[in-house]
Amino acid sequence: MELMFVGCFAVLACAIALYAASIPQGDRGWWILLAAIVALVVASKLIGGSLIGAIVLDLAELAAVALVWSRGTPEAAAAGRLYLFAIVPAIVCTLIALALIGAGGAQPGPWIERLVVWLVIFGFALKLGLIPFSFWLPAVASAAAPMTTALIVSVVDIATLSELAALRETAPWIFSEHTTAWLAVALLAMFGGAVLALAQNELKRMLAFSTIDDLGFLLLGLIVGGPLGMAGAGLGALSHALSKVVLFGAVGAAEARIGQSVTLDTRGLAARLPVAGAAFIVGALSFIGVPPGFGFVGYWRIYVAATQFGGLVLIMALLAVAALDLLCYARAIHRTWLGAPQVQVAGAPAYLAAGVLASLGLLAVLLGCYPNVLTGAAVPGLLALAR
Amino acid sequence: MFQPVFLPTSVLFAGALLEIVLAGVLSRAAKGWLAFLASALALAAVFALMPAIIHGEVLTATLFDWDASIALVYHVDGLSVLFMLLGAGMGSAILLYSVGYMEEEEEGVTRFYVLMLVFIAGFVMLACSANLLIIYFAWELIGLCSYFLVGFWYKQQVAADGARKVLIITHIAGYGLLAAIILLYVRTGTFVWTDPAVAAAFSGVVVLMMIVAAMAKSVMYPLHTWIPEAMNAPTPVSALLHSACYVKAGAYLIARMYSIGPWHETFGNLLLVIGCVTMLVGVIFALAQTDLKRLLAFHTVSQLGYVVTGLALGTSLGVTAGLFYAASHALFKGTLFMCAGAVQRATGTRDMRKLGGLAARMPVTTLVWLVSAAAIAGVPLTNGFVAKWLLFDAALEAKQAVVVVVAWAVSVLTAFSFLKATVGVFYGIPGHELHVGEIHEVSHSMRVGMGITGALCVVFGFAPQLLMQPVIEPAVRSMGFDWQIQVTWLGIVTGSGTIGVTIGAVAGLALATAFGAGAYRLVRAPAGGRPVSVFSGGEPLPDDDTLGVVDFAEMAEAAFGPIYSLNPDPLYFRIWGEIRDGAAGARRFMTTKVERAPVLTAVVCAAVLLAAVALP
Repeated sequence: MELMFVGCFAVLACAIALYAASIPQGDRGWWILLAAIVALVVASKLIGGSLIGAIVLDLAELAAVALVWSRGTPEAAAAGRLYLFAIVPAIVCTLIALALIGAGGAQPGPWIERLVVWLVIFGFALKLGLIPFSFWLPAVASAAAPMTTALIVSVVDIATLSELAALRETAPWIFSEHTTAWLAVALLAMFGGAVLALAQNELKRMLAFSTIDDLGFLLLGLIVGGPLGMAGAGLGALSHALSKVVLFGAVGAAEARIGQSVTLDTRGLAARLPVAGAAFIVGALSFIGVPPGFGFVGYWRIYVAATQFGGLVLIMALLAVAALDLLCYARAIHRTWLGAPQVQVAGAPAYLAAGVLASLGLLAVLLGCYPNVLTGAAVPGLLALAR
Repeated sequence: MFQPVFLPTSVLFAGALLEIVLAGVLSRAAKGWLAFLASALALAAVFALMPAIIHGEVLTATLFDWDASIALVYHVDGLSVLFMLLGAGMGSAILLYSVGYMEEEEEGVTRFYVLMLVFIAGFVMLACSANLLIIYFAWELIGLCSYFLVGFWYKQQVAADGARKVLIITHIAGYGLLAAIILLYVRTGTFVWTDPAVAAAFSGVVVLMMIVAAMAKSVMYPLHTWIPEAMNAPTPVSALLHSACYVKAGAYLIARMYSIGPWHETFGNLLLVIGCVTMLVGVIFALAQTDLKRLLAFHTVSQLGYVVTGLALGTSLGVTAGLFYAASHALFKGTLFMCAGAVQRATGTRDMRKLGGLAARMPVTTLVWLVSAAAIAGVPLTNGFVAKWLLFDAALEAKQAVVVVVAWAVSVLTAFSFLKATVGVFYGIPGHELHVGEIHEVSHSMRVGMGITGALCVVFGFAPQLLMQPVIEPAVRSMGFDWQIQVTWLGIVTGSGTIGVTIGAVAGLALATAFGAGAYRLVRAPAGGRPVSVFSGGEPLPDDDTLGVVDFAEMAEAAFGPIYSLNPDPLYFRIWGEIRDGAAGARRFMTTKVERAPVLTAVVCAAVLLAAVALP
């Protein structure tokens, strides 16, 4: 699975770079930071779930803060400060926790154990921007370049989540003995993210809150564990990464042509930007788990694992969140992209960016139609890991 | 190894792929012919499976692992073949019709044919799959295809809005199917419904959740409101959606539940109530319509009520009636939609208030319409009559007199509604806004497409055994029922109160004829009076000498006024409004409290979290 994440990050980094070559996202500093983040994330994955790996990933997170800051606008600076304010204590907490656990993940005494659990939950909730620690993510989404946010939520956040997944394997007691607290965090992220996404007018902020909602689903997969829960979280994370690049990319492509933020009051964009429109629709439907999108491959596993864990009540709760997600994205698709065009576009079409979006959208559908390309290899590996 | 059961879906998917690959080189007509060819080959492949199915065999095959160890397993029995025939058969006729229809479309022709082929393939896959997860996959695949096809003209707000409603109502209700499948998997460890363990785990909760999903797909009240809004799609889409590949998916699921697990009377009674209410609500709403396609859409609601009612009776005769009705409905409703599309194509409108007198300009379309309208109204010698006859008989046999009364009343109202539509569109005086001289018959392929299905309405009305013995009987047997009907050239012998029913029907017919004749004599129509353009049934004519659709609609609204308040849409909008208000409140809280004071928020939440973790 780790290798699969590395492959995914590499593909997405290439896609982001190609997109940014077509629709500029920042100056030379942006490109350097992009390369640094991707290199650090990949290095952390190759190093594996150790303290050094965690430190390398933390460096990537700090570079992501710099990437937000690099835009140079007052809003970006303010968002960068918020992000930094979240990331620094998060790094401190998670590093202390990892140090307390030690390399083998052995369970310490009761009070240290509780401290570790608190540090892990608090640290990761801050890093991932889970509700109620989500104050930095919408601000970053709003102020940073679209591909900067895409890189954060698709690469940095997913690498952070995979770090948590590694912890689930090495120190399962962190989850299994404090399930209620973890469940509360996951459900709050899911419901809170979905409801807040529904309330947004600006699409990038909406995408940020829906990221939180989806991370709640993935976290739930980790919490309930087992082969299906872990595989669901892993595959869901891959789908999350892929879809979010498509979604932010489509919105970014529209912003570049209309010269302003895309909101629910921007109407009929697909008539002017058909590829971006199609990519947004495909990315959104895949993201919320509608077959044949890739998202379903992770979601059904999480649903099964959640039902095994929490029965009918939990599955109904998850499906209620999924319904909220559908309402949210259906509104965005139909208010912003479909219908009679009411916007004018300027500038030359960005064919390369459109090609990137179309390719990633197609990939999301192909992986959803025949997931065995990934799961045929990944799930047996996970099962072996679980054994 | 070559597996014939996969051929229909493979051919359809291959056709869709070819459409994409050859998009740049094929003309619009050639794309249409390619799609028709793929669908016709799929139909031929289904026919090739039939000999084994007629002999009671079940064809199973495993193609490949789709997702990890979840294999694409097909289980083709009589029920599968019936629905495969509906999908591929109606699909072929409609794609043939599309060749002419889409020739004038300037953009999106490849998208249209790809989606249509995937739509049909998804439906065929749904009917064949033994794997419940693949069934859900196919269920949502056809849902997405219909979403994109209904929103085909996505630059028109009204089309986009209709597509949104399709997506939201059917997808959210579809979570019921997903939850049911997951519950079954958690209890049994398998997704394959043919596994005996699944039957043991087939509880009431599972059935209820499946019924909810089926209700939305098969437009059962109150989850039917998406279908009238889906009318702003190209007519072939409406025809396919209404006749075969969409609304029948729910009927398939209900029928398939008999094979999956034990059927309890409670489920049947619940579905009977839903079916009867749907029948009534659908036809009453249809009466008030002045848009031809919306009228047909509400009749789909009503007719699906018949299908579900038949299936819900839970007897051999009941499911026979339900399945025969499903097949018959596919034929006559598909034909009616194709006729409506022809009218719209020829006149540029489907507003019945503006139409009229088309019989002289479009004789073939008029003839095909008359046949299919007669079929839906249940006129003898059409397949609709056989279907209704079987259903009434099945309800009598099951001692469900209320069902008979409701079904009979709905039949009368259906006939009344189609009288309105037929007179309003094809007879009487042409509307003032119509350029009568410019109206002419539609293209050859369109006429052949609707002509084939229209002709089959009569063929299966004259000789229902052609459909009964090779298709319906294996389907009924595959649901675990014995076959209790004899169908011969001389009629249908159901073995249930035949003499009584026949005598009763003859007596009723004689009584009605006598009553009509008596009334006519009493009213004494004026001899040698002023000729009128339409049959008025003795009603006084309005000033402009026509009895138009508005008069019918007003009559219906006056008669059934309170029932129109049963439209559930206002309730759905109220729920949506509450959700939005709640979300806005959450947003206000986040922006005013949390985002403005991140430090305080982080500290307080961290303290709460610490307390939650630290407390034993």
